[in-house]
Amino acid sequence: MADTNVKPDKVVEIPLSTVEIPVGPQHPAVHEPILIKVYAEGEQVVRAEAHTGYNHRGIEKLAEKKSFYQDIFLCGRVCGICNSVHADCYVRALERILDKDPPPRAKYLRTLVMELERLHSHMLVLAVTAEIVGFDTLFMHMMRDRELIMKAKEIVTGNRVLADYIMVGGVRRDLNSEKVDKLKKILSKVEPAIKHYQKVYEEDVTLRKRLVGVGVISPAEVTTHGLLGPVARASNIPTDARFHDAYDAYAEVPFRVITRKECDCWGRSMVRFEESFVSIEICRYILNHLPQGEAVPDERRLPRRFPEGEAFTTVEAPRGELTYYVMSKGGISPYRVKIRTPSYNNIINTVPFYVGHTIADVPTILASYDPCISCMERAVIVDLRRGGRRVVSLRDLARGVA
Amino acid sequence: MSGVGGEGAEVPEVIKPIANLVKEVDVMKPGRVVAVIEPEDVPKAYAALRDHYGETGLYFSTLVATDLKDEGRFRIDYYVNVLAKNQYVVLRTHVPRDNPKLPSILPETPAALPGECEAYDVLGIVFEGNPHLRRAFFVPEEVAEKGIFPLRKDAGV
Repeated sequence: MADTNVKPDKVVEIPLSTVEIPVGPQHPAVHEPILIKVYAEGEQVVRAEAHTGYNHRGIEKLAEKKSFYQDIFLCGRVCGICNSVHADCYVRALERILDKDPPPRAKYLRTLVMELERLHSHMLVLAVTAEIVGFDTLFMHMMRDRELIMKAKEIVTGNRVLADYIMVGGVRRDLNSEKVDKLKKILSKVEPAIKHYQKVYEEDVTLRKRLVGVGVISPAEVTTHGLLGPVARASNIPTDARFHDAYDAYAEVPFRVITRKECDCWGRSMVRFEESFVSIEICRYILNHLPQGEAVPDERRLPRRFPEGEAFTTVEAPRGELTYYVMSKGGISPYRVKIRTPSYNNIINTVPFYVGHTIADVPTILASYDPCISCMERAVIVDLRRGGRRVVSLRDLARGVA
Repeated sequence: MSGVGGEGAEVPEVIKPIANLVKEVDVMKPGRVVAVIEPEDVPKAYAALRDHYGETGLYFSTLVATDLKDEGRFRIDYYVNVLAKNQYVVLRTHVPRDNPKLPSILPETPAALPGECEAYDVLGIVFEGNPHLRRAFFVPEEVAEKGIFPLRKDAGV
């Protein structure tokens, strides 16, 4: 660790007791390129900044240049982990503009895919949290069992990761009874495994020491900073777009909104565990109550040109509420597409909350927000609450960061 | 200036607390209440909603700025999720394209920080009172240095 005991007389010109430590953009504890620049006094963080921009791709501008239908694939590629929720949110905005409603079977199948996605996403972040804490064995075991869900997703959509499953007016593939049986088997294998991992999280001394009471965010701070998803629900704010918007089959499928009162990293992990069980219940319900009828529309009958209109749709992605705004002025391309991902709020707006923790807690807290860097865009943020002792100009920060 | 509030019945329940500021009411699909207000009233309107529904009764979700080149103005939409009413409210306002300035709502909610910084960087809308506005926030530096705002319809990107 950096030397914090430098005596003032040795650094006459710049008397600094604050040490600047860049965590990332390439760092063993960070799985995607992001830079959390922390300023520490001793072990304690006194100021933090998040620098992103290592994945900026200009997707909103590109979406204006492509056609409405091409954008479905573009939106699916905003994020690898939660590609179906992106496609679903965008497609539902198009369907609102067209005043078209997909058949019930398609709605159920969309919900099934999105819940499988939530399941593997939650398993991923829980595994990564364990790894960051230093519990590599748990990471390996969880990733092994997560593969079962990837297989389930492949059975439904034909693809393990990028599904490209959702299309205007329905989905691309239907399920038969053989596949339904396979999926049920997979779910019955995964459920006890996740229960076991939850028990490990609850009982392991190291995990509790590293997670309990770390990264506490109060309910009022959650709403004033616009935090979303499991981060908000772990602070007892019952925000869930599945419940607020009741899109696709969520109006008919019974489910619970999980909230916890811990407000810390451990609470967020527990929210994710409990939500995994809710997802499994939803998947089971869907497989048992799949409506009959068509799910795959005839693509040739879809209108090429769109009417004028605008729509704002939301979806509960694994990381929180994802929103799409699509505006059409007629023609074949959208006039404006605005994507707001949950990580965008959760990572940028939580920067002040690192202050007061130790340096070793920084990666743990970051992981507890489940950062998806591909979802975010380019930003340089300064702590809003208090300035550090060292003043660095924004230009220097942007250019001088190694 | 009087809002549509004086005329009574047409203001949806959820935006009653800001009825005196609302110029026009609209609905965006699917069922989002759109309240058109003056740009200088935005912080006041957000504060009034927050005071009415409480700090944990709503959150600022996102900011969408659009270049309406044919009308010669920018449109700025503030999406507020009113948890207490389980409904989305859109505060919609317009600023002229040749002088795109309006007050920042950062003092009312820190959640607006990335939205305002992004709108400034990609469209050049100035949020007065936000000290963190800077170019190359999202846009690559070589584009920002040329003074190009990429999401403007005449940017030529």
